[in-house]
Amino acid sequence: MTAALEIAGIRKAFGDKLAIESLDLTIPQGATYGLIGPSGAGKTTTIRMIMSILFPDRGTINVFGQGSALMAKDRIGYLPEERGSYRKMTVGAFLTYMGCLKGRTRAQAYGRADRLLGRLGLADVNARKCEDLSKGMLQRVQFVAAIINEPELVILDEPFSGLDPLSVRMLKEVITEEQQRGATIIFSTHVMAHAEELCEQIVMIHQGRKVLDEPIAGLRRQYDTRRILLEPLDPGANLLALQALPCVEDVKLNDQGCEVSLHAGMDPGDAVRAIAGVVAPARIELARIRLEDVFIRLVGESNGVHESPEALRTHLQGLSNTGAAA
Amino acid sequence: MSINLQRIGLIAARDYKAAISSRAFLVGLLVLPVLLVVFAVLVPRILNSPSPQVIGEVALIDSTGKVAPELQHAIVPEEIARRRAVESEQSPLKAVSPGTASGPTIPRMTLVEAPSDTDAATYKSWLIQPRDATPRHLALVVVQPDAVTRRPGAAAFGSYALYASSRLDQNTESTLRNTVRAALIATRLRTDGLDPTAMATVQQVFQPDSIVVGSAGDRSGSRGFAQVLPFACGLLLFIGVMTGGQLLLSSTVEEKSNRVIEVLLAAVSPLELMYGKLLGQLGLGITMTVVYLVMSVFTLAQFSMSGLLDPILIVYLLAFYVVTYLVFGSVMLTIGAAVNQPAEAQALMPPVIILLVGSYSLTGVIGQAPNSTFSVAMSFIPPVNTFAMIARIASSSPPPAWEVWTTLLISLVTAMLVVWFAAKVFKVALLMHGRPPSFGTLIKWARMA
Repeated sequence: MTAALEIAGIRKAFGDKLAIESLDLTIPQGATYGLIGPSGAGKTTTIRMIMSILFPDRGTINVFGQGSALMAKDRIGYLPEERGSYRKMTVGAFLTYMGCLKGRTRAQAYGRADRLLGRLGLADVNARKCEDLSKGMLQRVQFVAAIINEPELVILDEPFSGLDPLSVRMLKEVITEEQQRGATIIFSTHVMAHAEELCEQIVMIHQGRKVLDEPIAGLRRQYDTRRILLEPLDPGANLLALQALPCVEDVKLNDQGCEVSLHAGMDPGDAVRAIAGVVAPARIELARIRLEDVFIRLVGESNGVHESPEALRTHLQGLSNTGAAA
Repeated sequence: MSINLQRIGLIAARDYKAAISSRAFLVGLLVLPVLLVVFAVLVPRILNSPSPQVIGEVALIDSTGKVAPELQHAIVPEEIARRRAVESEQSPLKAVSPGTASGPTIPRMTLVEAPSDTDAATYKSWLIQPRDATPRHLALVVVQPDAVTRRPGAAAFGSYALYASSRLDQNTESTLRNTVRAALIATRLRTDGLDPTAMATVQQVFQPDSIVVGSAGDRSGSRGFAQVLPFACGLLLFIGVMTGGQLLLSSTVEEKSNRVIEVLLAAVSPLELMYGKLLGQLGLGITMTVVYLVMSVFTLAQFSMSGLLDPILIVYLLAFYVVTYLVFGSVMLTIGAAVNQPAEAQALMPPVIILLVGSYSLTGVIGQAPNSTFSVAMSFIPPVNTFAMIARIASSSPPPAWEVWTTLLISLVTAMLVVWFAAKVFKVALLMHGRPPSFGTLIKWARMA
């Protein structure tokens, strides 16, 4: 089967600034890919090049086997990071217009818009002007506009930014429906938790370079967990005593208990048993690997990167407040 | 790269509908007719509306001793009115109501004769009087000794000096000057044994409307209409291009600042977007031009003058409108795509406006001398050429057809080049934000594309 997207050796610079150094990527049809990285990493530039809004200085992009997205626009749904609408148009007219631009008849576009608006809790906004909607409502309308044509490839650039938790949940449900329909989904985010939840495969970009392209399941296998979460049976137990254990690198206290970091190469099973021997646990579990940790480890290991893990973590976390809320 | 005509049509239709139902367009559509009504109907009425009649005395020192009787006759209001009526009939641009004298209220002036040897330098103090004094002393006319009979060997007659009160208004002074002139001419003629009334009758030639003879038959012409038509055609072209271009610019800036551009680019290519927008506003401009043309024809029909308008002129006007709009509209569209706020566009607009206004302002001059070297040369230099050519076509002496078609061809090639350049800039400029660009930056973007 033809890949939904094939990117080979693309490079893009804006004047002296190199936005994408070299990127190769193949996304099979029906897959869900998360394009992650901090702001300024090159995610939006990559997506704009996929959409033929920007053009690479070098390299090729094939969408459904076509040499340019311009030849397959009707098969693509795109929610840009900078989204807008015609303020004076009614929601119904705007969505119908977008549907018609994407090759649907007015009736098809209207029907699909009506169903999706209902699905996103906006059943009664059809006749309202876009300028009369709240920011969150408008963002959901724009999401509907992106997928109004039942696209085979859905590209979502930071789809959850600025949304309240309820809207995030509704959007995730619709994205899952699109997955089940068989659509290929690519979405970019700097909120790693969203990518963990929705994606099968993760592509990490940092400073215009791809630093990771792995399935989530493989990541979990590849990047062994080195953190154990402990909730003691006795709330007054001395948790800092765990630091004396040879396998323990660090102990961080929190409201429930503590988070224990292990030295590299330690067996988690042995560590759990050792910790339980020192402090009787009410609950003890291995923490799942977080993409944030993977990203920091990868970037820290790569050559030519001078950011400290703390700076990278701050950068990512500072930008992921929305994700935390969600 | 393939262009989807259906998408272009959809964008054009949306832009057309949005613009034609906007308040700005409706106001713009009404501005021209309102201005025409104001200038053609209201202004002359206001200017000719009766003002308070000036009543007062005019002193005369007549050293010839011959002018006074003639001036006494010429200064009577009825005589002034008669002279105005004759002048009005002889004017190429007749008054709105032929046969009636137009102009400000006729002053009622009484002539006061001073002795012929009176010293004017001393007597002029007669004009200085309290503000509310009656009768008012309006002016002092001092006729020179050789004003009626030339000095031996002199080529010209002498004249007169006019001393005016500080409160004398311009219209009364002008009426007095014309009256003294008429009296002097009459006196000179009578002194030479000629009858002034007969001479005035001899000089009266009323201006007829011309009859334009053509292969399709004769039709009545109007010199005034022929003088106004090139200017009016230029005005239609100017207003259509300016309105279409401005709406194009503002809608593009709005779409960019609303961030709807990238949403659109998800569905259409930059070129489809640009062509759609150009086409939508072109339709709007044509609608506006057609509305004005229909109104003009209707107005002319009211005065039984619709035959003066050649239908081919309307066809050429629309054709030249399309190419002129494509040139200026593309540039304005590019500016709209390049800036982030309407205020930023103002920095890039002056050269475009100057070029557009400059081209339009030439129509009056070119219409007067349609076949001069300047007019012919301007007809082939873009972007002035469309304005120059439409003024020439609308003039009383239109150019040969090959010149018209050559101008149209040059304009078409120019339009294609400008659209091509605009498309290159448009693609890059659409997603550019930050510092507003200069024209140099636009050229750089065109090279990048």
